[in-house]
Amino acid sequence: MKRKTGIGPWLFAAMVLLFGVNAAGAAEANAPAAASAPTITIDKTELNNGGTIKVSGQAMAGKPVYLEVYAADHAVRANRFDSDVDKDTGKRPYIFYITSEMPAYYKIFVPKDMQAKIDDEAKKKKKWSYSELLKNLGADVAYSVPPKAKIERYQSTLMASVIGSRGDLLPAMDEKENKKRSMQLVKARFRNINNVVAAAIDMKPDGSYTADLKIREGLAPGKYKIVAVVDKQAKSEAATFENKISFPTMYLENAGTSLNLVYPFFLTLVIAIFGVLMGAGGGFIMNPLLVTLFPALPHTIVAGTVTPTVLFSQGSGIFNYSKIKFINWKLGCGIGIAMMVGGFIGPKLTEMITLDQFKFAFGWILVVLAALMLWQTTPGYLAKNKKEQAILKEFKKRAEEASKGK
Amino acid sequence: MKIEFWGQEFQVNMVVGCIGGFLIAIMSSMFGFGGGPFMVPLMTVALRLPMYLVVGSSLLAIFFNTSISTMRHYQFGNFDLLFFLAMFPAALLGGYIGPQIAKRVSPLVVKRVACAGLLLLALNLLGVY
Repeated sequence: MKRKTGIGPWLFAAMVLLFGVNAAGAAEANAPAAASAPTITIDKTELNNGGTIKVSGQAMAGKPVYLEVYAADHAVRANRFDSDVDKDTGKRPYIFYITSEMPAYYKIFVPKDMQAKIDDEAKKKKKWSYSELLKNLGADVAYSVPPKAKIERYQSTLMASVIGSRGDLLPAMDEKENKKRSMQLVKARFRNINNVVAAAIDMKPDGSYTADLKIREGLAPGKYKIVAVVDKQAKSEAATFENKISFPTMYLENAGTSLNLVYPFFLTLVIAIFGVLMGAGGGFIMNPLLVTLFPALPHTIVAGTVTPTVLFSQGSGIFNYSKIKFINWKLGCGIGIAMMVGGFIGPKLTEMITLDQFKFAFGWILVVLAALMLWQTTPGYLAKNKKEQAILKEFKKRAEEASKGK
Repeated sequence: MKIEFWGQEFQVNMVVGCIGGFLIAIMSSMFGFGGGPFMVPLMTVALRLPMYLVVGSSLLAIFFNTSISTMRHYQFGNFDLLFFLAMFPAALLGGYIGPQIAKRVSPLVVKRVACAGLLLLALNLLGVY
């Protein structure tokens, strides 16, 4: 967090600079010197929480043009835990890659006739590869922003995992390696193939192009840039548009998405009530519902934000019980210390797993929980529970009287 | 370990309790829930403690876990303030309304509905449908 505030002013300075360049570029656009570089014009400079932007321009005849679109104001975190078997050595590397400079939105639009290639890659389902996709589309020439992100990598070991550390920081990667890893991070961050590429550009034989760029809802607010690219040398000036969002839709800085905050509010309200009724904290239902209903939210953010929410209800529960001396501190602290160690390790594991693994594991946890709930409705349990509850009430009454008597 | 609670003595197997608590803590902090529904059966069934002792003490144990994991999640940058501010008041409000409704509905029905709901959610997460 500290780091983000540190970057903020720099980003702003960079924006101002880019802007200046931009304005200068627009003035020069008519000059014939820019003949080889494609041109770009957009029909509007403002969007309201997503929408469609018409882009047109002149590129080279007979060559495909690509539009690289990215959020210039907001960066997000992307991380990936590499535990795939290395083809050359046959070993699992266990390296954790993380960057905090991934643009909050990144998408490359390609000519419409390339749709089939995207579909081919999409057929691999979850195993689609961003680098192969870019290569097949020829769009790697347009891939310019994520490779600049500074990626840190950590060598994870079992020991490091046990003490809850990310592992040892490895030396920075060279440009080529950084680019390769940034592609994997793009996939890890945006997950769905349709979030990172789309076939939308109409090419004319004379090299002019038009495109309707659909910008989805729930994206970061602020400036976005579009660059038309033919090849590494032939790039247009960046066209800039602004995405606006208004309350109650707000941008979640750490999650990297905009969300209408009314939905989570009511969802939490309903779940919290239901949680009280069924005697389980709302977290069990809250987490899986949030990751299913808002696929744009990273599971790390969901887990990390729901946890403090349940913290306070637990705190008030403890306070109420302790008032009537209904807590055995020795037992609670004893097991509590063991749980503290577990709680230290758990959050690190969250960022090491992918959303699919998260869903898979959570699915089984819920199956077990459902079985527990079912067991609690069996006649044998109910009979026993009735007795226990009676004793519980009796003790509580005594405890309450004792605390009043003081 | 021997503990005393309201004049009665109980023998607690702390090894089982700590290992169980440790595993539940990893799981619950990893996925961001409290862990009460797992802790209570652990303490009543595996440790053979009576319900009236478990309700308060399990909450205390879980509180340790939740506070540490909150801290760790925050440290890793997994915490989003705005998102939290949207959910937190709702959770408080729910905690206030919940007990009032609880008096009027049968816990048995709630448990069965919850059971069905959880299974549906689980199957969804597992990608069955």
